[in-house]
Amino acid sequence: MKKSTQVALILLITSLIAFNLFGVQRFPRPEFENGYQQPETILNAPRALFFEYFDLAVLIGSLSLITWLILKKRSRKAVFWVMIFSLLYFGFYRKGCICPVGSLQNVTLALFNPEYSLPINGIAFFIIPLVFTLFFGRTFCAGVCPLGAIQDVFALRPVSLKSWVQSLLGLIPFIYLGLAVLFAATASDFIVCRYDPFVGFFRHNASFMMFAIGGILLFISVFIARPYCRFLCPYGVLLNLVSRFSKKHLTIAPSACISCRLCENSCPFGAIDKPTGAKFKQPSNVLVKKLILYCLIIPFLMAVCGWTASKYYESFAKVNFKVKLATEIMQSKNSESEVIPLEITAFRSSGNSEEVLFEEAKVILNRFYLGNWFLGGFIGLVFGLTLARLTIIPYKTDYTTNKGTCFSCARCVDYCPVKE
Amino acid sequence: MFKKFDLKNFGTDQLWNRIALVSGIFALLVCVLLIGNYIQVKKADPINMKVINSLVERLHKDPSDVKLREEIRTLDLLSRKAYFTSKWQIRTGGYFVLAAIALMVISLQIISYRKTIVPQLSPENDDNTMAYRNKTRVFIVTGGSLILATALIFAILATNELKEKFAVQEINEETPIENNSDLITQAADSLVLEIIDTTGTSNITIKHTVASAFTNNDSVNEKSAASSKDNFPTFRGPGGNGIAKQKNIPISWDGSTGDNIRWKTAIPLPGYNSPIIWGNKIFVTGANTAKREVYCINRNTGAMIWTVVVENIPNSPGQAPKVIAETGHAAPTAATDGIGVYAIFSNGDIIGLDMDGKKLWAENLGVPGNHYGHSSSLMIFKDLVIVQYDQKTSPKLMALSTKTGKTVWSTNRDVKISWASPVIVNTGKRTEIILAAEPFVASYNPADGKELWKIDCISGEVGPSVAYANGMVFSVNDYSKLAAIKIGADQPTVLWENTDYLSDIPSPVATDKYLILSTSYGLTVCYDAVTGEKYWEKEFGNNVYASPIIAEGKVYLMDKTGIMHIFKADKEYVSLGEPKLGEPSVCTPAFTNGFIYLRGDKNLYSIGK
Repeated sequence: MKKSTQVALILLITSLIAFNLFGVQRFPRPEFENGYQQPETILNAPRALFFEYFDLAVLIGSLSLITWLILKKRSRKAVFWVMIFSLLYFGFYRKGCICPVGSLQNVTLALFNPEYSLPINGIAFFIIPLVFTLFFGRTFCAGVCPLGAIQDVFALRPVSLKSWVQSLLGLIPFIYLGLAVLFAATASDFIVCRYDPFVGFFRHNASFMMFAIGGILLFISVFIARPYCRFLCPYGVLLNLVSRFSKKHLTIAPSACISCRLCENSCPFGAIDKPTGAKFKQPSNVLVKKLILYCLIIPFLMAVCGWTASKYYESFAKVNFKVKLATEIMQSKNSESEVIPLEITAFRSSGNSEEVLFEEAKVILNRFYLGNWFLGGFIGLVFGLTLARLTIIPYKTDYTTNKGTCFSCARCVDYCPVKE
Repeated sequence: MFKKFDLKNFGTDQLWNRIALVSGIFALLVCVLLIGNYIQVKKADPINMKVINSLVERLHKDPSDVKLREEIRTLDLLSRKAYFTSKWQIRTGGYFVLAAIALMVISLQIISYRKTIVPQLSPENDDNTMAYRNKTRVFIVTGGSLILATALIFAILATNELKEKFAVQEINEETPIENNSDLITQAADSLVLEIIDTTGTSNITIKHTVASAFTNNDSVNEKSAASSKDNFPTFRGPGGNGIAKQKNIPISWDGSTGDNIRWKTAIPLPGYNSPIIWGNKIFVTGANTAKREVYCINRNTGAMIWTVVVENIPNSPGQAPKVIAETGHAAPTAATDGIGVYAIFSNGDIIGLDMDGKKLWAENLGVPGNHYGHSSSLMIFKDLVIVQYDQKTSPKLMALSTKTGKTVWSTNRDVKISWASPVIVNTGKRTEIILAAEPFVASYNPADGKELWKIDCISGEVGPSVAYANGMVFSVNDYSKLAAIKIGADQPTVLWENTDYLSDIPSPVATDKYLILSTSYGLTVCYDAVTGEKYWEKEFGNNVYASPIIAEGKVYLMDKTGIMHIFKADKEYVSLGEPKLGEPSVCTPAFTNGFIYLRGDKNLYSIGK
């Protein structure tokens, strides 16, 4: 038998023995111990302030290092190792919290609820990646974000998606961002954190459903690289927009592109823009007409979408625990059932007034009404601008990274024959 | 001695492939077992097992069966252990899966790392930029239109009723006077009442079935315009707790120049009672030794709508009782539920009138044995008029039917004479009537008058009513003490007390955070409602008989000279204004949105624009 087969077999047998060990404990023998002492409830001490700042230092250090590796060293392998470090540190060690993706909700909550005290770390984790992106592109996505990193290590057999599929799915993060802002602004929920598909792996703790969703996304990552980053991440929307203005963004060729086309299919994220050629150059009068048309369509879309979304404000508001509780109390009053839900019993035993609760619930409903108008308007705007973007074709002569969607992972660099 | 580590030569691709394969299969196996285990754990309910429950039932029938008891314990322990072992297995299995997947990924990454990059070129003429853009546009337009159309259809069909329902609940909570159930059953007309939500962006339409008493157009219009928030139905607002829900209350006026005074109407007979409001009608009472009257004034114009002379009451004494000038014969504030208005006078005459001034009922409760004169105001709970009758002999709390005036319940109280008014609060758990009189502060069930709790903490001739906020009742009296009573548990407890500043007439008012207390000699003090820590005190220099009211976080406190002291209900004293009425006043203000109503010695004022 070959040596490699032997190693594999030993690994399998060892694993099966280990599995058998806890299989025995599946049927523990009865025990008759007495004098059981109830353990005291212990609350974990808060994390020391020093470590909070240490996290910040690690974030800045990682971002600086990866930016240098991408822009100066142009090394995909080095980027990969920084990514592994971030996955271990920000992911498994820091258990995915605090992360810039979720921090956008903390910032939103603080903006709309002055009584909410936002820690300095929260602001820093939100702003620093944006600042780096503004100058150097999405180097944060390349290898510092643990959510991106965990997907990237699974990107083993990536296939290219059709451009139109990417464009369509690329609208989802905008909607998700709108929802995240709405729920955070109304102090209802942090949906980005609640439905973070990977945090369960980092913490070894999540609901079955979240593990299943996370597992499915990781499986998809094998073939469709970074599906969460590309088609869900709300923070990615902000990075995408900011990155478009970055001066020192990663380029495929370190100097002039020779249009050799070797990099054409190198990007698993479809973030390389091909030269459009002169045939797509549109006359200025056609462009002006299209712009005028979209100037008319976009406000209309915003108004219709805003009105439509506003009609769903109650359904959205039910996410808020106060509205939910008020609804339950109201229903229990109208119900003939004698069983009072635990939430209502707990609320009543707190001595708080139901009248105040109903008043607060009404205020929250009003906020949702307004918020849904904005959400709908925002979605309309995104759809309108996407249509406009698709109509107006920028003139390009070289193969370039798309500053908005490029994660600066440096994969394409290895494909480019131009090295200096 | 040491070779340089080279990942490219570390193991063969075949080895890593097999490691990946084995670890992948292992991870898959464990995953399947974990899912099976998870389903098992999910189904298990170790503290509610059928077998154990049936054994427990058997044990209840024969508690002396020691063997059975032991058997139950053993089973219980077993089921719990099995449950937690399964949980442990899931956790441990999770680590195995994680490790196996990590190993698989590492193996595959090593293989990938060693692969030489082979660029794949598309056909030379594969320029599909335009085609993809067109396709995307088509998909966005058609897909988006479909989604939007579906959403629009559902949006049109959607009914948003929560805000409306919350409004109704809120009304029921804050004014336990609406929807008189008996009257509802008698109602012939079903009306649609529109409640304007002042905080919202849309009008809320609430369908109410109301009493057939509102048959003429004026009444219907009046009722239609009214909401609980527009009304101020009793002394110190709904429930008598000193908190007004109204908004945009003015903070500046001048009675002598007419600045910001909307109207001013002379009230024929004197009275120290405060105005109450329902819809477009304001009610006050006035009396002297010979005459007792109830007045209804148009809220918008100040015109007197009707005056009812309270006379020919069965068993009413021929002569008015002896009272002091500072109390007078019309000190108690009337009460209204939008269906009727109810008033009581110093001689024990009590009357129920409909909103048009037509007598519904009237009787005499017996001349109150009260050496200063009766001053306790009426309160309303559902279809009951709540009367505090803490007189010299047979002090009691009574509930009269709003329809007939008949006594529905009466609870004797072992207390001294008091002048405080009842306060009706919803504690979240129940609605209570809270009263203060020597020697205790007590709570009663408004439905049947049964005592819910009492606590000895007050003495003397009690004038101030209690204040309530956030599960705490605050009672105070001069030469006694200020007590903060925590209620909610079976037995109330005094959380803190203070004897530095005591009131004999003005009632305190409280929020979740602050307790504002004014003394009759004009010193006002603010405490931390929970701890009793004093935040500030302020000497106004004039006597104060009126009680403070909090509206929009501002305290409105009228002194006897007619100066309204308006300040923030806050940790620090911040004055917001000291407008003058231009005549003395001892009455507590009433509010509607945008307006304040003040009763001076002679006139009733509407302030605001």
